[in-house]
Amino acid sequence: MARLLLLLWSLGPMLWQLYSSLRPSEALSGVDAGGWTLEHYRQLLQGDPPFLTYLINSVVVGGSSTALTLALAVPCAYALSRLGRRQARSLTALVAAAAAFPAVLLFLALLELARDWHLANQLMALSLPYAGLCLPLAILLLQAAFADIPMELEEAALIEGMGLWQRLRWILLPLMAPAIASSALLVFLFSWNEYPIALTWLSRTELLTLAPAMARIAGSSVYTIPYGAFAAATVLGSAPLILLMLLFQRQIISGLTQGAIKG
Amino acid sequence: MRWRLWLLMAPALALLLAVFAAPLLHYLWLSTQAQTVLTGLRPQPIGAQQWLRLWNDGRFWQDTWQTLRFSAASVSLEMLLGLVVALLLNQPLRGRALLRTISLLPWALPTTVMALGWRWIFNDPYGPINRLLAWLGLGAIPFLSNPAITWMAAVGADTWKTTPFVALLLLAGLQTIPADLYEAAALEGATPWQALQRITLPLLTPYVLIALLFRLAQALGVFDLIQVLTGGGPAGSTESLALYAYLNAMRFLDFGYSATLLLGSFAILLLLCSTAALAWRWSSRLQGELR
Repeated sequence: MARLLLLLWSLGPMLWQLYSSLRPSEALSGVDAGGWTLEHYRQLLQGDPPFLTYLINSVVVGGSSTALTLALAVPCAYALSRLGRRQARSLTALVAAAAAFPAVLLFLALLELARDWHLANQLMALSLPYAGLCLPLAILLLQAAFADIPMELEEAALIEGMGLWQRLRWILLPLMAPAIASSALLVFLFSWNEYPIALTWLSRTELLTLAPAMARIAGSSVYTIPYGAFAAATVLGSAPLILLMLLFQRQIISGLTQGAIKG
Repeated sequence: MRWRLWLLMAPALALLLAVFAAPLLHYLWLSTQAQTVLTGLRPQPIGAQQWLRLWNDGRFWQDTWQTLRFSAASVSLEMLLGLVVALLLNQPLRGRALLRTISLLPWALPTTVMALGWRWIFNDPYGPINRLLAWLGLGAIPFLSNPAITWMAAVGADTWKTTPFVALLLLAGLQTIPADLYEAAALEGATPWQALQRITLPLLTPYVLIALLFRLAQALGVFDLIQVLTGGGPAGSTESLALYAYLNAMRFLDFGYSATLLLGSFAILLLLCSTAALAWRWSSRLQGELR
């Protein structure tokens, strides 16, 4: 019973969107009209620019942000886990505070950065602020995983004459694979969902990522709205994420809990 | 050896400083500058004028109240519901892993996507809730056009989205509690309710604190949801601090005052989160002394 309620609570709103997206517009505004239609999806996919553009933009931003975040976070987390306890603890506390910081408060300064360095309207450039915002969580997660690897393992490799780079590549990274996968997924999720910075950095319609595109589709009026198209947009916008969640549920969940608890 | 460790950390620390510390310092400077259309969008020093303006700005205080109200309501609802969901998911049930994933879906969706979805659900008169009410012969609820109701609609949408996150954290906490504690309590004749009060809640407190602080900080910076769901309306009754700062920069082109507002919001956030953490430490020390 309680399980059913939880299912209904979690899925109900999404199912309503799916239902709305398949109904003709007249039926949504109270006229008694039966039947189903794919018209809303057709409209969206043939729009200018087609809805698919936003999804591709989000994938590009998500991919580059994830790569940059990991490239910076892995060495940092390694060093942090090998640093003495006292220094590491105060650094970790700062990083944890940054992880909880609401990113929206940074939008104005980051916007000026984009203007001064001509980074606005460049998709890949968004990965700079995104990597910065995701670093705290990624570092906390990876540092906890590095700390779990026994020192003896690394010392043995050191005796074998392996350099730092070799140790990382052949000993540590393979053991870190699960934690790296979790952080990568969480960074990707963050970049996919991030709104205020994408909103202020991107103005050209064909460059919008999903989140600002949805807001632009929503327009400014709360009252006169083509809800069928909206519902179709929410369905298309959530489908890739739902797929991602179902495929990688274990990594995402372990990443979330580890990141919060070890931090 | 030591310097090599710092070298490995340097790029990440530099980016962290650039993204978190530099903006706050920049705001501190910008809040003493007028940078508006009137100054040709060039900064001109005006001292503490904008801080005085903030102090006398009714809209700032109204938005502060509205943001606090939103945060208090949504965070306490999320903690309560999150605990219930976590306790439910901690039961040995069939299909638990799938249920856990499905219940996490709302959290994974982009806020703008789900805010747009909720706008349709709250629609008057064609949203599902109002249709159901009409079918039952009851009057419609003006979810998005009545200031007394709209903020609660925003709280509802936020609770729907972030309860799964809280539940997941608390679930992780529940799973660290050894099962033999409950067995021992049951042998002593403790009721499930007593076990919840005496074992579960005290051992869960660190997790509750983490979830609470994190959610509080995020809720005080609420922006995406409000902007898409209500646009701050009706009549500014749901406008949050972050939205007000955004409007100052992007609509009124008053960058100096926007920076002042952002710093003001940050100060409120800092004050509340450190008060919560300190109150927590104080009460746990008090409890320790009583035992």
